[in-house]
Amino acid sequence: MPSQVNCALPAGFLLDRYRIERQLSLGGFSIVYLAYDADGTPVAIKEYLPNSLALRKEGEIEPQVPDDNLPAFRYGMKCFFEEGRALARLLHPNVVRVLNFFRANGTVYMVMQFERGRTLHDYIQRHRGQVAERFIRNVFIRMLNGLREVHAHKLLHLDIKPSNIYLRADGTPVLLDFGAARQTLAQGQPMLKPMYTPGFASPEHYANRETLGPWSDIYSVGASMHACVVGTAPPRSDERTKEDTFTPLSKASNGNDGKYSVRLLELIDWCLLLDPLQRPQSVYTLQKELSQKPRRASAPPQSRFGDFLSRLKSTIGRS
Amino acid sequence: MKFTIFQESRIGRRKTNQDRLAHCYSRNALLMVLADGMGGHLHGEIAAHIAVQYMTNAFQREARPMLLDPSMFLSRELSQAHGAILDYALEKGLREAPRTTMVACVIQEGNAYWAHAGDSRLYLLRGGRVHLQTRDHSRVQLMMDQGLLDVRSAATHPDRNRVYSCLGGTHLPQIEFSHRTPLKVGDIIALCTDGVWGPMGGEGILRGLTAGGNPAITVPRLLSEAESAAGASCDNLSMIALDWHEDSGDIIPDAVSTQTMALSDFTTRMDSFQDMRPPANDMDLSDDEIETAIQEINAAIQKYSK
Repeated sequence: MPSQVNCALPAGFLLDRYRIERQLSLGGFSIVYLAYDADGTPVAIKEYLPNSLALRKEGEIEPQVPDDNLPAFRYGMKCFFEEGRALARLLHPNVVRVLNFFRANGTVYMVMQFERGRTLHDYIQRHRGQVAERFIRNVFIRMLNGLREVHAHKLLHLDIKPSNIYLRADGTPVLLDFGAARQTLAQGQPMLKPMYTPGFASPEHYANRETLGPWSDIYSVGASMHACVVGTAPPRSDERTKEDTFTPLSKASNGNDGKYSVRLLELIDWCLLLDPLQRPQSVYTLQKELSQKPRRASAPPQSRFGDFLSRLKSTIGRS
Repeated sequence: MKFTIFQESRIGRRKTNQDRLAHCYSRNALLMVLADGMGGHLHGEIAAHIAVQYMTNAFQREARPMLLDPSMFLSRELSQAHGAILDYALEKGLREAPRTTMVACVIQEGNAYWAHAGDSRLYLLRGGRVHLQTRDHSRVQLMMDQGLLDVRSAATHPDRNRVYSCLGGTHLPQIEFSHRTPLKVGDIIALCTDGVWGPMGGEGILRGLTAGGNPAITVPRLLSEAESAAGASCDNLSMIALDWHEDSGDIIPDAVSTQTMALSDFTTRMDSFQDMRPPANDMDLSDDEIETAIQEINAAIQKYSK
């Protein structure tokens, strides 16, 4: 079936006990709506609707799933349930909260707490080139608390990017949109191959999926921090594995006018190494690095490998 | 539950592989089962196959997602597996019912329960030692118990392969049951056929499985070692090994955590059926299952939001 765009449910539509306000986002697997419950509390509702398998035409409510696609559609639903089960257990201030789960219109829906604020992506767009190091450290240390909780539940996010990191009005980050790329989705299900946002996905997202691990999310964290510093994602990792055009931030010749500490830039470079084993292996390692007091960009450059070793030593020494 | 599990079976130098093995888990319970079809008898591998398949099916029927009583389960289903082999023999008009050894282990709520008939073994390794192991239902084991044989001469005794209890055959099996055994983090449970413990001994198995690395590394290494130790007369070799982890521990590569499995889900691995297509229900999701999943998620939301 050719790729298609699914129509969203119309504004004002009464879905279970929620009234649809508007569409918030549209992904390959789902549509997310802003809706209000009977008490007028806003919620985000995620509708399971894989583009490649089901089609909702203009003016229709129930999506059509061709018979041939039914097994795959149901299989994807299983994965959607896994996401629900995992999120239901995650009660963490930096992870989006699931409130309800229901079935309607021949598909299933996950109701989440609606967070006011804006995405890190929006923030970067507005402050292009002016995102302060202190801001980066603060947001990421706290966002990583949430990610640590995710990993502790043996779950990988696999789609970390600035548009999935929400900043509440008070500046605290919330990790959104799990399961867009759940590991289980890709296995033997060509029709459900996840779509990644180029630049934020690690090389193992594209190939060698069996090597996916916390380090893959860490690559995406590095790419997100890269976007904060530079304004854009690093080059696509699948291209990088063929010919690496990426210049490590700590080596960039134009310099950053001392805006960012070498330590932060090196940390981003470290997360963005192509070899998963060379990256920080746990979120905790990364958090420890981020919580170090920054030093300004005046330290003499060290060889990358030597620097990596010394950092490794200090990491081991600390833990 | 969190664990790392691996199983492998090799033909050795024999013409056929009469060993069968499987493991299967739901969110809250796990079954490991291993059978060694008896070569001297007709259709040994069929007996092993029926027994393993029967146990696996029974487990999937009853572990939803937990067995009511693991000891009763083992007791009932091992006898029934014996019956299933006899039924097969009757149906096919075989002159003699085929036979197989069997060792089966269930883990749930952090406790292990096992049962066996014959000389396929279970080892529980803890703290760098063999903590518990099954006792073979064999002539040589009886003779050793009576002080007539020592370990060394048992290893070469001409009757060392003769077992007095098995599933199938003309006699009722004598099934031996373990106590409920609470597992500790770091415990290793290994089920194996005599093709492995014969050449390696308990010490060799202990050394092999605690040499570092997860079962996906240690088991193949151990089987290769057993294979070369056994030489030209190498029997079929099979082993299932499980490392038991802390539920809330760090992420361990290759470890299985069952907590996000659906209540009605099973993951099954049965090597001898490799060429069969995965069961259709892997893909299928009935309306009832959808309803159950939704109820279950909402229950979790309620539970964890308090």
